[in-house]
Order: sequence, then structure tokens, then C-alpha cells
Amino acid sequence: MLAEGIFIYLAAAITILSVLVITRKNPVHSVITMLVLFFHIAALYVTLNAEFLAAVQVIVYAGAILVLFLFVILLLNLKEEAVARRYVGPWPLGLMAAVGLFLAIIVSLDSFVAGPKGAFTTEVIKAETNTKALGKILFTEYLYPFEVVSIVLLVAIIGAIVLAKKRLRS
Amino acid sequence: MTLNDLAPLIPLMVIAVSSVIIMLGIAFYRSRAFSGLLTLAGIAVAFITLFGVQGTRQVTSLLILDDYALFYIGLILAASFVVALLSSDYLEGRRENIEEFYILLLLSTLGSSVLAASTHFVSFFIGLEILSVSLYALIAYTRNELNIEAGVKYLVLAAASSAFLLFGIALLYGETGTMEFSRMSSGISAQGINKGMLLTGFALVLTGVGFKLAVAPFHMWTPDVYEGAPAPVTAFVATVSKGGVFALLLRYFIQVDMHAYPSLFGAVAFIAVASMFAGNLLALLQKNIKRILAYSSIAHLGYLLVAFLAGGVMRVTAVTFYLVAYFITTLGAFGVVTMLSGKERDADAVEDYQGLFRHRPWLALIFSAMLFSLAGIPLTAGFIGKFYIVAAGAGSALWLLVIMLVINSAIGLYYYLRIIVVLYAQPGHSEVSAVSSLPLTGSLVLVLLTVLLLWLGVYPEPLIEMIHRMTMRF
Amino acid sequence: MDSYLLIPFLPLAAFFINIIFGRTLIKDKAHWVSILAVFGSWVVSMMAVAEVLQGKTVNADLYTWITSGGFKVSVGFLIDQLTSVMLVVVTTCSTLIHIYSAGYMHGDKGYYRFFSYLSLFTFSMLMLVTANNFLQLYFGWEAVGLCSYFLIGFWYEKKSASDAGKKAFIVNRFGDFGFGIGVIMIFLTFGTLHYIPIFGAVNGMVGQTVDFLGMQVDLPTLIALLLFCGAVGKSAQIPLHVWLPDAMEGPTPVSALIHAATMVTAGVFMVARCNPIFSLSPVAMDVVAIVGAVTALFAATIGLVQNDIKRIIAYSTVSQLGYMFLACGVGAYGAGIFHLYTHAFFKALLFLCAGSVMHAMAGELDLQKMGGLKKYMPWTYLTMFVASLSIAGVPGLAGFFSKDEILWLAYSGPSPVGKLVWAIGTIVAFLTAFYSFRLIFLTFHGKFRGSHEQEHHLHESPKVMTIPLMILCVGAIASGWVGIPSLLGGGAHFTEFMKPVLGHLEGHGTHAEEWMVMAISVVAGLSGIGLAAFVYLREGDLAATVTQKFRFVHQVLWNKYYVDELYDFIIVRPTIWIAKNVIVGVTDGKIIEGIVNGVPELIGRFSLWLRSIQTGMVHQYAAVMAIGAFVVIAMVLLW
Repeated sequence: MLAEGIFIYLAAAITILSVLVITRKNPVHSVITMLVLFFHIAALYVTLNAEFLAAVQVIVYAGAILVLFLFVILLLNLKEEAVARRYVGPWPLGLMAAVGLFLAIIVSLDSFVAGPKGAFTTEVIKAETNTKALGKILFTEYLYPFEVVSIVLLVAIIGAIVLAKKRLRS
Repeated sequence: MTLNDLAPLIPLMVIAVSSVIIMLGIAFYRSRAFSGLLTLAGIAVAFITLFGVQGTRQVTSLLILDDYALFYIGLILAASFVVALLSSDYLEGRRENIEEFYILLLLSTLGSSVLAASTHFVSFFIGLEILSVSLYALIAYTRNELNIEAGVKYLVLAAASSAFLLFGIALLYGETGTMEFSRMSSGISAQGINKGMLLTGFALVLTGVGFKLAVAPFHMWTPDVYEGAPAPVTAFVATVSKGGVFALLLRYFIQVDMHAYPSLFGAVAFIAVASMFAGNLLALLQKNIKRILAYSSIAHLGYLLVAFLAGGVMRVTAVTFYLVAYFITTLGAFGVVTMLSGKERDADAVEDYQGLFRHRPWLALIFSAMLFSLAGIPLTAGFIGKFYIVAAGAGSALWLLVIMLVINSAIGLYYYLRIIVVLYAQPGHSEVSAVSSLPLTGSLVLVLLTVLLLWLGVYPEPLIEMIHRMTMRF
Repeated sequence: MDSYLLIPFLPLAAFFINIIFGRTLIKDKAHWVSILAVFGSWVVSMMAVAEVLQGKTVNADLYTWITSGGFKVSVGFLIDQLTSVMLVVVTTCSTLIHIYSAGYMHGDKGYYRFFSYLSLFTFSMLMLVTANNFLQLYFGWEAVGLCSYFLIGFWYEKKSASDAGKKAFIVNRFGDFGFGIGVIMIFLTFGTLHYIPIFGAVNGMVGQTVDFLGMQVDLPTLIALLLFCGAVGKSAQIPLHVWLPDAMEGPTPVSALIHAATMVTAGVFMVARCNPIFSLSPVAMDVVAIVGAVTALFAATIGLVQNDIKRIIAYSTVSQLGYMFLACGVGAYGAGIFHLYTHAFFKALLFLCAGSVMHAMAGELDLQKMGGLKKYMPWTYLTMFVASLSIAGVPGLAGFFSKDEILWLAYSGPSPVGKLVWAIGTIVAFLTAFYSFRLIFLTFHGKFRGSHEQEHHLHESPKVMTIPLMILCVGAIASGWVGIPSLLGGGAHFTEFMKPVLGHLEGHGTHAEEWMVMAISVVAGLSGIGLAAFVYLREGDLAATVTQKFRFVHQVLWNKYYVDELYDFIIVRPTIWIAKNVIVGVTDGKIIEGIVNGVPELIGRFSLWLRSIQTGMVHQYAAVMAIGAFVVIAMVLLW
């Protein structure tokens, strides 16, 4: 009962906060709202026995990325009229899509049997703790991809620099 | 996992390492020619090492280097090689810092190759991200307004499509408890098929993949991005990125037998028909060559899906041959656009091509050959490809789809011919056609592509034999 | 065998040489390359014909083109009796028309381009007739269509020319669609596309039905009718005849070669080639016969009143093609091909003469502005007169023998519609004679009705043009002599020669009946000529009076039964409407915009707040994608 209550609170808060993030006029407000949103997501992870993910969520997203966002916004020093422009786009279409997808997911969840089906059942994870299980699999079975992700970062860095770099001669 | 496991990955590693070498090289010595040569060498070495991979090698559960994967990686490498050749002259003088272009090009090639060899959702997703992230930068590379707009559009939409894809993967994992393709099918039968969730998962994966392939109704980005991106990059997006994704789609839905899900089959058929009609009808009204080619690529992917839906031994052969033909043709067509493009803007208006035959007869002939192939006129590779698709479709009694395909080919023929007629018309007054001299490497590449195109159209037997051998496992 | 490869590939080589070096090196010498090449293939063709006459047919595969599983298509050649006749027709006409073009196109700025297209066309046509399988036939079929498209629109600056090219192209799509499906059906039924195994196995098809889009259809009938669709398009039969008259916008040698002698007869050739399939289906045969007969009558009546010299000949072509189909439909394939063969000579001659007249008249096409040209251009007059006699079926000339054989076999053959189509054919013979001589009399007799300036320039065409006319004239006279019926003491060699491929249809009737049929058709032809002479050679305006009296009929004929208008109304306009209002709507995002703007209004008070919101394209695209995802999920779940 309590668990359900908490879940409902978190779910509702996440939804409302998400809408707020994309509807704020002032980008600073958006980012602050997002910060609150991320904490709620972290809390949701905790209720799912995924404390490692919760910690990463707070440290990486809330701690590092959002601060970077704030810096960028402050550095850009948006003028008042730029601040006032909102991009919500064709929301009726978005609403249609969202409602449709929501209904589709509801229908498909109808016959879903809860509980993980692979090697990592709830009992295994409870016995090993989430952090340990994740660490083990990440550095054994998924070692390659774990290393290869660095290439994604490399690409992203090069791409960003190439696009942002000032023209040298012109 | 041992060192032995790494051996089959050498082709992929060669590409990754060459990109790092180029990056380090740039730090010391900035030269387009030098970086370009390194790139070409890297791709060539990777291509050669493909032949060193013996037998079917499963590397962990993530990647498999079987003949099928090797064939597709080879195709991807060849296409990247051509794009690298075409882009060098194109980029010269368009912006400084050309060299980084090659790093991005190599890495996206790597991403696409990983896709062709993936047997696991994790490698699939990482490959896709490597590919996409480098494409964002490549599309916006020359940094004019159109470029940036196209890059941002692609970024936003690709991110959205990735979200769909991830959600789909999550649902499939939740249902089957595995992300390996081969174990997924056994997982499905072991768990007792919980259809709703599984099907939704498939549909969402299809959405993510469909976005990359630019099939209707996920095609909206295509014309804008094709138009906005620099011409060689457009060629790259149209070939390398789609080729890898299609290879993966085919592998996945063969392992998880798609024909067991009639409704999934129906949905793919819907996508195929929608793509054919959307592509061809919208192309009829276009006046911009790059946009026409974009819409035509939508239609062509629709045709490919028809073969994809067909069952039997013909399926893989038909799809693969068509992709090869499509690669050659698309690279050739965008090659011509690249060669004609001036420094100010790309040669993408139909008027730029008016009377091309008068001052550049060779280029006009090559472009006509490419358009004929796209239209599926006999004696070109495109015709043989289409023939195989029709044969595969008819062989599986997919009558409605085959008839749609025939109707659409007829519509398509019309706009291709319209361009060809323009090529041979009286020259107009376009500044683009006055480009002084054509770069030698580009010309050679185009001639080579044309020869290949005709060769495959007249004597496709060796390639078909080879495809047949390489894809026998399926 | 190997030397036979030269037949199609010499013109192909000429095409490449001209298109590559034409602009810079060869320029106004382009005709030499093409003429030599096509003459070379004529020589080899004649050798091939000689071999076939000795009974040596060839069916050889060059190499395997496409394989998959047990299914193979080769590039190969079948040179048998039917092919050899087509080789004679194609290479002879092509050679003469190439020579003629050197004079006709002289000084045109697209000179080398014209010859390269002409060579490419010859290559495609030869590939079509020499194919030994349906796929290669299909290749030739599409390729001649493309060449025709380019050549009709050769003078692309003329809007009417490029429109005509488009029209030909689009109309042919309809026919080719059926043809393509037909070929696929053949492949599915027989598992091969090669003629010989298919025609050997056709009897297994009898009685089979197939589920085609939900209906049970007799298999031979279905395949035959689908193939016939293609023939109707290519050979300009009702209801797809509309493109041929418009195709006259192309240069006249093109009209002579492609739109009279060779390409348009490809449909007849294909039906004859597939005669084992057609013969299995009485329904399909009757359809072929009726379509042919109706087209013959329909086009002939239109030809009566037109004033454009080339269009009259074009309608005459449509009408004569109808004749050939009529023959095939009653089972007289040999007679149909015989007529194809004689027709090629006299019709090519008619067109070239028309070209010669246009040459003299500075491009004038209107009969009403000509007259009296006889004394200025005697050779053109003479040859055209002979051609007209031949088409009118005057005894002794080529047209007489082939036409007579068709009519006799229609009358006496086993076809249930035979008597009907014979009657129509006889009427058509009368009409043909009338309009052909109307053309002759209006052009060459009487007083010149054009401007003084035109009169000043009237001259006979150069030798390079008149010599091909004379050679063709010999053909128009003598080409029929190979098929003189036994009734007149001949040996009917032609039909005998074609027997191994096309079978032989025996007419069942007495000699008296045969004499009667012949006499009726001769009388019909002669009275047509006589009537034309009566109306147009006398002073006075009988024609105008008749026109006045039958105003309505004249209007209908003058406007070609309003078929173009009908198609415009039921096909062209709705298509354009849909393209404009539906497709452009989608591209412009109008529909999307409509939803965007429409839904807020429903929601009432939110709408004002939303009006100010900027619509970003990316948002729309993302939304469409999401909706697409929803549609796919819904389909997957609910299918």
C-alpha cells in the first residue's frame, strides 16, 4: 500500500515536472525544474532496488550535466525577447501521438507477467545487491561494449569541436 | 574471452585505429591529402583483412563475423572509400579544418559495420549511436545555414527515434529476459508468447530502425537532411548508414522468425506500400535534385521491404543484390551532384542540369545511366535488382505488394525520365554548370561506378553467385 | 551463330561511337557511322534469312543472365522463320530510313544525336525480335519505348513535341503494366521464361484456373489477355491508340521507322510469337479479333476527314495494325505477319513521301494548303501514288495479297467472329482506299493553295532522299509476290514458310467463295479510289457540301470521337486534382496544419493562447513519427 502510494506520487510528479520543463519561458526555470525531476527519477530507482542507478542519476545528471546546462545558459546571457519565445510546436499532434502511444502500451501491458525472466531474478539481485550485479556483468559479459562506448564519446567530442570551433582564417 | 577472440575483429579495429592515427596526425601535421590518404589506406587495409577472417566467428554474444556480416562490411567499406574519394575535392575551399571530416567518416563507417555484425541489442545500439553521432557532425560539417539546420533536425529526430528503439528493446528484454537475437527466439517460445508486449516491442524497434532507413511514416526528415547535408555526406547517409541498418534488420527478423507473427508482417507490408507511394508521389512534384533523390530513396527502401517480406531462399539474395545495386547507383548519382557543385551551393536545382550534355557529355551520360538504374531499366544493375525483388515477391505470392511495386516503378520512371530529358535539353543559364574543370579522382570514381553498374546489369551472374555463397547460412 | 551477334550489336556500337565522339569528332559525318552499321546488320540478316530458308533455325543462349535456384534466364537468340521476317523488315526499313535521314535531317543541330538515337532504336528493336525468352523481349520492349519517347520529343523546344513524348510514354505504361504482370504469370506457371520450353508445355495449362485478385480466372485466357494489354499499348489499338497520332510531332523519318514500320508492329509480332498461348483461349482470340476490327474501322473513319498529312497516315497505321490483329484473332497469324511485312514497305514509303513533301513545303502539314505538287516533285508523287495503290489493295501490288489473305481467312476460318470481322475489314478496305487517295489528290493534283513564297520554294528532294523512296517503292510493289495465293497460280510461299512457327490455318470454302471475297475487296478498294477521284478531282466543292450536310458526323470524326477529351475528363483531370489537392496538401503540411489549427479551436479557450505559438518543422516531423509509431503498434496489436 505504502509502496504503491509512493510510486503513484513519483509517477505523477515526474509527469507534471516533465511538462513543466518544456513549457517554461525562462530556460533557467526549465533547468531548475529538470533538477527536481531528476531527483524524483532517482527516487523511483531506489524503490526499484536499483540504488546504483539512483546514485548515478544524482551524481552525473543532476550534479554534472545540469550544472553544465546552467553555465551555458548563463554564459549565453539570453536577452529578454529570446527568453520569451517558446517552442511547444504543434501540441495537438503531440497530444494525439502521446495518447495513442499510451493506449497502445496499456493494451500491450494487459497480459504482461511481471518479474524479470533472465538470469537476474529479483532474488539474485537482492542477494548480490544491485551495484555488485551490475559491476560484474558490465566487466565480464559487456566488457567490449563498455570499452567501445568510449568511441561514442570520442565521436561526440570531435563532432562538437569541429562544429563549434571558430574559423581560423577567413 | 581471449586474444583469440579478438582476431576476427581486426577489420573493425583497423578502422577504429586509423581514426585515432588520423586524429593524432592532425595534431602534428595538418594536410588534407595526408589525412585523406591515411583514411583510404585504413579502409583498404580493413577491407583486405576481411579476407583473413576464417569461417564463422562468434565474438562473445555481441558480434558475429560470418560470411553475411563480412559481405555487408565489405560493401560498407567500399562505399565509404568512394565517399572519401568524392569528398576530398568537394571540401577543399569550402571550409578550413577538412581533416577532421575523415575521422568522423571512419567512425561512422565503424558504427555501420558493427551493425552489420551485431547479434545483440547492446552492440546494435552502440553501433547505431556511433553511426548517428558522427552523422550529426558530418551533416552540419560545412556550417552554412542549410547544413546546420539539417544537422539539428537530424539530431533531434534521431534522438527521438533512439528513444523509441530503446523502449522497444526494454519491452523485448522484459518479455524474453535476453538481448541476444538467437536466444530471444528460444526465450519467446520458452516463456509462452505474451503477444501484446512482444509485438509492441517489435513495433517500437521497427520504428527506430524505420527512422534510420527513412521509410514512411518515419521518413519526414529525409528530404530536408538530404538537401541540407553536403553532397558527399548525403551519399553517405543514403548508402552506408542505411546498408548497415538493413543488414541488421534482416538478420534480426530472420533469427526471430517474422513470419510467425502475421500482424507484424502486415505492419511491415503497410510500411513498404506507404514508402513506395509516399516516395514516388512526392518526388513527382519536386524540383530539387537532392530532394528527388531523397524521395526516390524512400521508395527504393519500400521496394527492398517487399523482398524482405518474401520468404524462401530468394529473400536474402534479392535484398543483398538490390542493396549493392542501390549503393552503386546512389553513390554515382550523388557523385555527379558532388562534382557539379560550386563553392557557393550544391548543384541541386533541376535547372542546374539543363543541357548538361552540351558542356559535360560524359557526366550527363553517367548521370543518365544512374537514373536509368534507379528507374530499373534493363541492362543496368537496378533492373536486375528489381527483377529479383519481383521474383522473390511473386515466388511468395505477395501479389498485392508486387502489383504495388510495378505501379510504383511506372510512376518512378516518369520523374527519372524528366530529369534525363532536362540533361539533353538546350543549356539554360545556371552558374553551377560553369564549374571550371572536374577533379580527376572524382571522375575516375564515377567512371568506375558506371562500369560496375552496366557490368552488373549485363552480367550479374558472378555477383549473384557470390551473394548466394556468402548468405547461404540463412 | 556468332556472326548473328553482329545483327543487333553493330547498331549498338554505332550508338556508342556517335554519342561519345559525335559532338567533337564526327559531327555532320554521324550518318556514315550509323548507316554503315545498320547496313552491316542488314547484310548479316540476309545471310541469316538464307540459312533459315534452308531450314536451319537457331536457338542459342549467349550466356546466363540471371539465375536463382532452379530458374535461369539467358541472353540468347532465336532465329526462326518469324524472326527472319522481322529481321528483313527491321533492317531493310532501318537502312533505307537511315539513308533518307541523312538528307532530311541535314543541318539540324542535333544531327549526331539523332543518328545515335536511331541506332539505339535499331539495336533495341533487333533485340526485341531476336530474343529467345520473355525477359529479353521485355527489355527490347521497354527500350524501343524509351527510344520512341526520346525521338518523339527530339525537338524538345516544341512544347507539343515534348507533350506528345510524355503522352506516348504514359499511355504505354498502362499497356506495359498488363504485359509485365503477364510475363510474371508465365514465369510462375512454367518456371521459365524461355519460349521453346514454354510453348512446348502450354497444353498443360488447359483448364487450369487461377485466383487472380479474388476471382477464379481461366489461366490461358488471363495470360493471353495480359500479354495483349501490352500489345494494345505498343501497337496503338483501342483504347490506348491516342498516343500514336500525337507521336507525329517527331521528325518524319522517326514516324516512318518507329511509328509505322517497326516498333508499333511489335505488338503484332508478340501476339504471333505467343500464338500457342493465344490459341488455347477462344475468348482471348475473339477479343483480339474484335479489338483489331473495331480499331481498324474506327481509325479509318477518323482518317477520312483529317487535314494533317502525317496524322492521316498515322490513323492509317492504326487502322492497318488493327487489320493485323484482326488476322491474329481469327487464327491467321501467318496472314497477320504477312501484312505486317508488306505494310512496313508501303507505310514507310508513305511517311517518307510525306516527309519529302514537308521538306518541299518548309514543314507545312496542312493538306488544304497544298495541291498540284505533281509537277514539282515527280518522284515523290510517283512513289507515293504506288504506295497508295498498294495500301488500297489494287491487285498485283503488295498490299493486295496480304489484305486478301486476311479477309479470306477471316471469312472462311473457324473463328466465330470471322464473318463479322470480314465484313468490317471489307468496309475498312473501302475507307482506306478513299482516304489514301483523298490525300494524294489534295496534295498532288489541282492547283497549289499555299502562299506564293511556298510555291516559289517547291522543289524535288535531293537524291539521298528520293533513292530510298524508289527502293521502298519496289518493296511496295513486289514484296507481296512471295505470298501469291494458289488461287491465282502462286504457291502461297509465305504462309508455307511460316508454318513451323505460326501453324497453318486452312480456309474452308469453295473456289467460288474465294473469288467472291477477293472480288469484293478489290471492288471496295477501287470504288474507294473512284469516289475519292469523283469528290476531289472534279472542280467544285462537293466535299464541302457533304461536310455541310453531315455536319455532326464530320464534327465527331474531326474531333476523333472525342476520345482525348474523354480521357482528359475521366483520367487526367482527376489525377491532377488529386495531385494538387491531396499530395501537395500533404507535402505542404496543409493537412498537418489543419489538424494543428483545427484541434485548438475545438478546445476553445486554449486556442487564443496557442495561436501565437510558432510551428517548428522538427516538431511536426517528430509528431508524425510518433503517430507513425502508434499506427504501427496499433496495426501489430489489432491486425
